[in-house]
Amino acid sequence: MLQYIIRRLVQSFVVLLIVMFFTFSLPYFQQGGILAPAYAIMGTNATKARVAYWGATHGMNHPFIVRFWNYFLQTFVHFNLGTSYKQNMTVWQIISLYVPRTVWLAGAALLFTVLISIPLGMYQAAKRNSLVDYAATGSAFILYSMPSFLLSMLIMDAFSFHWPHLPNSPPSGVAPWAMFTDPKGFILPVAALTLLSVAGLSRFMRGTVLEVLVQDYIRTAKAKGCSNRRVLFRHAFRNALGPIVTILGLSIPALFGGALIIESVFNYEGLGMQTVNAAVNVDVPTVLGITLLVTIMTLLGNLIADVALGLINPRIRIEGKNS
Amino acid sequence: MTVVASSTPTSATAPEVDVVIEPLWRQRMRIFVHNKLAVASLAYVVFITLFCYLWPIFHPTNQTNQAATFNVTWNAPPSLHNPLGTDSSGFDELGRIAFGGEYSLALGFLAGVITIVVGTIYGMVSGFFGGITDTVMMRLLDAFLSIPYLFLLIALLTIFNRTTMLLILVIGLTGWWGNARIIRGDALLIRNLEYSQAARSMGAGRMHIIRRHVYPNSISNIVTVATFSIADAILFLSALGFLGLGIVAPQTDWGTMLQQGTEQLQNGYWWEIYPVAVVFILIVVSINYIGDALRDIFEVRLIER
Repeated sequence: MLQYIIRRLVQSFVVLLIVMFFTFSLPYFQQGGILAPAYAIMGTNATKARVAYWGATHGMNHPFIVRFWNYFLQTFVHFNLGTSYKQNMTVWQIISLYVPRTVWLAGAALLFTVLISIPLGMYQAAKRNSLVDYAATGSAFILYSMPSFLLSMLIMDAFSFHWPHLPNSPPSGVAPWAMFTDPKGFILPVAALTLLSVAGLSRFMRGTVLEVLVQDYIRTAKAKGCSNRRVLFRHAFRNALGPIVTILGLSIPALFGGALIIESVFNYEGLGMQTVNAAVNVDVPTVLGITLLVTIMTLLGNLIADVALGLINPRIRIEGKNS
Repeated sequence: MTVVASSTPTSATAPEVDVVIEPLWRQRMRIFVHNKLAVASLAYVVFITLFCYLWPIFHPTNQTNQAATFNVTWNAPPSLHNPLGTDSSGFDELGRIAFGGEYSLALGFLAGVITIVVGTIYGMVSGFFGGITDTVMMRLLDAFLSIPYLFLLIALLTIFNRTTMLLILVIGLTGWWGNARIIRGDALLIRNLEYSQAARSMGAGRMHIIRRHVYPNSISNIVTVATFSIADAILFLSALGFLGLGIVAPQTDWGTMLQQGTEQLQNGYWWEIYPVAVVFILIVVSINYIGDALRDIFEVRLIER
């Protein structure tokens, strides 16, 4: 197991390097090349000399490979992601300020998604073609086909303006534990994000359980006299869990992407809003740092999902354990 | 006596009966037509597409000239003159749905086609060649898949000069990763099946096997995935419209319209959001449902019933 994890970590690191290389070369293609941020900072009519000076002080006159190597060293040896061009903060400060806020939001949504969609999907599969199944499939289809911003806007309009009990935005200020001290403001954004993910996951759960229910071992279990309840919870549920865990691991980037839209609708200063602002302001170090961080989280999520899969299902022998 | 039978004649067919084998595509068509909801979805997509492209010809409205809207009431409720009212810039809402739809549908379709073409080629090469090619190509795909998609879109659209062409290319060239995975799985499976091996033993080249065996046998997945890709592309385009990174004014698309409509929600101007929202959601629902139905028609088990 340990061997497997180490090998996967090495592989993930290679993937991370590819992503870094890719994102690091992107600014070279923008209008004005890598000196474009100089104009964003000093205004469009900055003199050539000042732009050149800015470039020299920020190491822009080195060749690409040297710059990439420096960035690599700076990131992985000194754990320094650089300083934001636009805000008077290091990228680490920005990340440590806003990551917890997004993680609380996305984490709460993920928790509710799992708690809702797994029982719902199982119920739909067990009571296939019932009224509840049709209703749930229909709503999931509509939710799935709806842009996330539209759903959040409609939720906000209905529950914050027409039934004016819930605040339309989480409390501002950057305390990451605000979710526990003032949970009322988080109800709407978490609900919106949850609804969006429930649509996909419950559909997937239904399909997986349906596939499991036609297997031979389910027939055997029924034949030896297991109750329907026991078949569903002991036999079908356990076997359907594997694909769900994989999907959850893969859904982390989508969750962050969804959080980006939700944050911007509910005016919640999180990682997503920071990324959009940084991208619009050509704040290259911030964009690079945040992309790097989210990529690491995604890779770790996939790794954890795969390891969990081996723990859940003893039939999946993780390579390296036997060798 | 002529009997239409399925492609696998069973022992029940009496010798004197003249068996006409129904072509496969017609059997598939029958399954599709049998699915009423799928036919309705297809009809809806066709209707909206025709509406978007033909309505402006029969009933031209001003959609681009902001200067000409000064003698028009802005945010006017629906009336005989403006069947769905006017929006916050004074443009006729019904005409604008058609005007924005032209861009949303065309861009979604083109971007979806790019994702499926690139995804198919990449997946087939990776799955069919296998070995070190496959490993390298798949690790590269892992790298792409772990970049948060929306972040990448935003980064790309802010650093390049945003044009309609760029929107198509960016959505198309960043959306094929999932498709490549699916197609690769197919290619990997088919290349080891007996008929591929038989072709290889007869001396067929790799490109021949890909063209004659792998591609035709994975067409079901390709078609299905293509449908979902178009729906996804339309959705992503709308998300970009919401973030202000959609089509550049004076052109518009449904995502930008939805965003402008939601801004007017609190003022009670319902006609600026609900009609376009319903048209938009139903289009994506319909395309997704057509994809589901297409998956069904390729299910051999359903054909042989």
